[in-house]
Amino acid sequence: MHPNSISEVPTWILKVLNNVCDIERKIQIHGDPGNAKRNVDRIKETFEAEKIFYEDPMGELFTETRTDIEASITGSGTENLHVVEVIKPIVRIGDKNFSRVIQKGIVVVESKSEGEA
Amino acid sequence: MATTINFGIDLGTSNSLIAKFDKGNVEVFKNPNGFKETLPSVVGFRNDRILIGDQARTYLLRDPKSVASRFKRKMGTSETFKIKAINASKSPVELSAYVLKELKTFIHSGEQVDGAVITIPASFDTVQSNATKEAGTMAGFKTVVLLQEPIAASLAYANKEKNVDLKNSQWLVYDLGGGTFDVALVKIVEGELTVLDHEGDNYLGGTDFDALIVEKIVVPELERRGTFADLLGEMKSESGQYNKLWSTLLLHAESAKVELSSKTSAEIDLGTVSDLVDDSGKSIEAIINVTRSEFESLIRDSVESTIDRMKQILTRNSLQPADLKFILMVGGSTFVPYIRKRVEEVMGIAVNTSIDPTNAICIGAAFFAGTKEKGASQAAKEKTKSHLKIRASYNKTSQESEESFTARFDGDITGLQYRITNEDGSFDSGTKKVAARILEDLPLREGAFNLFTLKVVDAQGNPVPIDFDVIQIAQGRYSVAGQMLPEDISLIKDDLVARDTRLDELFAKNSILPSKTKRTVEVAKTVVKGSHDSIRIMVVEGPSNRHSSTNKPIGMLTISGSQLVKDLIKGTDVDLIFEMSESRDLTISSYLTGTGQDFSQVFTLAQREVSSQLLASEILLLETKIQSEIDDAQTDGHRETAESLEKVLTGVQELIGSAADLAEDDVTDKKFQLEDQKRKLAQQMFELTSTKRLKQVKLAYNEKRSEIAKLVKESGNDRERHVVSEIIAREQTFINSTSPEKIQQVTDELGRLEWGILMRTPDFLNAMFAHLVERRASMNDQIQASQLIESGKRAMAREDVEELRLINGRLWDLMPAQEQASDEMRAYTGIV
Repeated sequence: MHPNSISEVPTWILKVLNNVCDIERKIQIHGDPGNAKRNVDRIKETFEAEKIFYEDPMGELFTETRTDIEASITGSGTENLHVVEVIKPIVRIGDKNFSRVIQKGIVVVESKSEGEA
Repeated sequence: MATTINFGIDLGTSNSLIAKFDKGNVEVFKNPNGFKETLPSVVGFRNDRILIGDQARTYLLRDPKSVASRFKRKMGTSETFKIKAINASKSPVELSAYVLKELKTFIHSGEQVDGAVITIPASFDTVQSNATKEAGTMAGFKTVVLLQEPIAASLAYANKEKNVDLKNSQWLVYDLGGGTFDVALVKIVEGELTVLDHEGDNYLGGTDFDALIVEKIVVPELERRGTFADLLGEMKSESGQYNKLWSTLLLHAESAKVELSSKTSAEIDLGTVSDLVDDSGKSIEAIINVTRSEFESLIRDSVESTIDRMKQILTRNSLQPADLKFILMVGGSTFVPYIRKRVEEVMGIAVNTSIDPTNAICIGAAFFAGTKEKGASQAAKEKTKSHLKIRASYNKTSQESEESFTARFDGDITGLQYRITNEDGSFDSGTKKVAARILEDLPLREGAFNLFTLKVVDAQGNPVPIDFDVIQIAQGRYSVAGQMLPEDISLIKDDLVARDTRLDELFAKNSILPSKTKRTVEVAKTVVKGSHDSIRIMVVEGPSNRHSSTNKPIGMLTISGSQLVKDLIKGTDVDLIFEMSESRDLTISSYLTGTGQDFSQVFTLAQREVSSQLLASEILLLETKIQSEIDDAQTDGHRETAESLEKVLTGVQELIGSAADLAEDDVTDKKFQLEDQKRKLAQQMFELTSTKRLKQVKLAYNEKRSEIAKLVKESGNDRERHVVSEIIAREQTFINSTSPEKIQQVTDELGRLEWGILMRTPDFLNAMFAHLVERRASMNDQIQASQLIESGKRAMAREDVEELRLINGRLWDLMPAQEQASDEMRAYTGIV
């Protein structure tokens, strides 16, 4: 894959995926009486077939060497940071074998003690 | 080698950018991580790493003792930044040099940058300017030329609007960025752009507006909706109950602010916030509306203060607004329509927004660099060739989520630094000092090839050539725990165009088990509730690029009319999940969207599923197929092939007899033997006819290809053109294949594309309509047919393509079933 082609992913694709991720998160939080998760999964699969997919970094560990997310730190600690809120997901282009980050995730991270993490 | 400097850098207080002038054009480089043009001017020190940009900014508020920002404002002072993490102090010059070196990594062409034009605020005095120059030298630039920011912005404008005559005129440059505000009066004096006067506010910018949205709109609204004792206090305090919400809201406010530049209202949607509750635990309505006028009243005071500063400049220089040609707007915050409008209103002259406010200064710097000669010392370029030897050791495959990478450096390592980045853009070690032995833990992405690049740079940030660069680690590849699949596993689907079936690969050979995959298929025929009709989800094992009859069936889930709670309508979706366990048990689960029913079944290899009835019908189908192949071979004069096929036919005919004797509930393994024989015979037939079929499918492909090339050129859209050119580009990968199925698949793909285009083409729809009109006599409902035909004629006259297409569809539905069926295959699985 040519690195320059990556930055040429139309922004509308990113906008759609950011919203799909929002829907997915809302379903997680507020429940899914209408079975909308199925539609979300299908939309994701359609994009995956075009080699574009997103990942929700919720709960993941954040370290200063991670460049796939842009984090705002909340709370007082700066060690053992975990993602506690996701504003935008990480969008990648490629397949399972090799993919590249085309949109950094925008997240809020918070320090957690060992027990919590 | 270019004799001009060509590189321009906007070394900003909040953000920095780099651009290059090349043959009259300027390219602003993007950060290879995240593809943003801007690099936050923030330097952080954590453990033994130096982080620059976004990574450093993350720690800015929470670890301020180890992160430095806004150092530009301290340039030329003796003030230093104490850095707790390294227990040392860094001067603003050193910190700026880090940013400049980082900007060099944006240059994707990999060329050496030995000179640059760096911009400085109009307010910089000689000491501050010299300090900037020093930072440039420290960053390895041999030539550094300084340029005032308002002039850079004006140059960007002048180069964009080449026809505008700026002679004998003067104007203001209004620069409102993320965290600073500057305004300058620029004039052409004796042919040269000169800054006559300037004003500024070091602590005013876009981030202040974000905070205002949160404090003045969002927080009061949340307080109205829930019960909070001290929401704002609890949000702003590090240990506060709602501290997390503060960061979240700031990010949402920023998006809303951007949206308000193009819309009159924006929503802050907190539906994705997991614990949006008040003090009593009651959840709060999540959508907060912010209107543009609310936002405008928030920032009014700030904007007025910038206008006051402009007025001060005018008063000091005894000028009237009318003496100015325009006010040039620069800086990201000038996207806000209210700011543009208010400035124009109060000053009574036009604001100029023709340049991109975020990168204008950098672009102007690059234009200037394109005219500036490199210094003479440049020619005598001493290049210290490195004789570095690197011996690396690491595991090339791993099951862990992290692998240690160690390397030994032999040679002179003084002043050298290294950096390891993941090529996928997810990891950056930051720059670290080279020691005789280095150790770095590299995080690995699950199930993927992880490629890391190791780079070594000297003290000025120039790359040092090394004989080693890529670190490749395959994660989860050669699992010893996981079983590998010996053959492809595929789903059989009906192929309506080819009137046959095709295989959709579910799990590829050598995939590691356990594994799971999903498919959404369409029902190809209506299955009436209570009927004996059914759809079959059949999974087979064998080469996925061969015909389904050559594959071994391993599981079939039948959903019949008797199991349905309502009719399963043609065209509705069925979600399928296929799971294969380590011991290769296959679970097929299906969800029928139309009826809301779930069906699921587990198939183990020990109890292979073969239906006697289905087997018998498959054998019959095979017989018909072989018979027609024999006819073809004889017609084409391929006697040998025909003879061999005859033998296969005899074998099949014997099978027909044996299969007929089988009871549907036969419990012996007889049916498995028969199934095996059938598969082998089918295999033989496909092998015998493969040359013929290869020729046919190639011919068919070439025909389809020229058809579609013409069609897509005339009537295709961008996406279709893209798909076709993509197929043609990879033609070599299938056209020389020995598998007719592979070529056929592509032809079918082109066929579907062609159909899609034709269905939008007026000529085709008109012809189709005419054809249907001819067959009117055989239609089921003559009254309806007449009405539809009349409407069709009107649609044709109106050239209403969409309407005509609908009418064609409805007329088609009126055709008797057998006539329709003549154009469709007998549904084999009932799914497509």
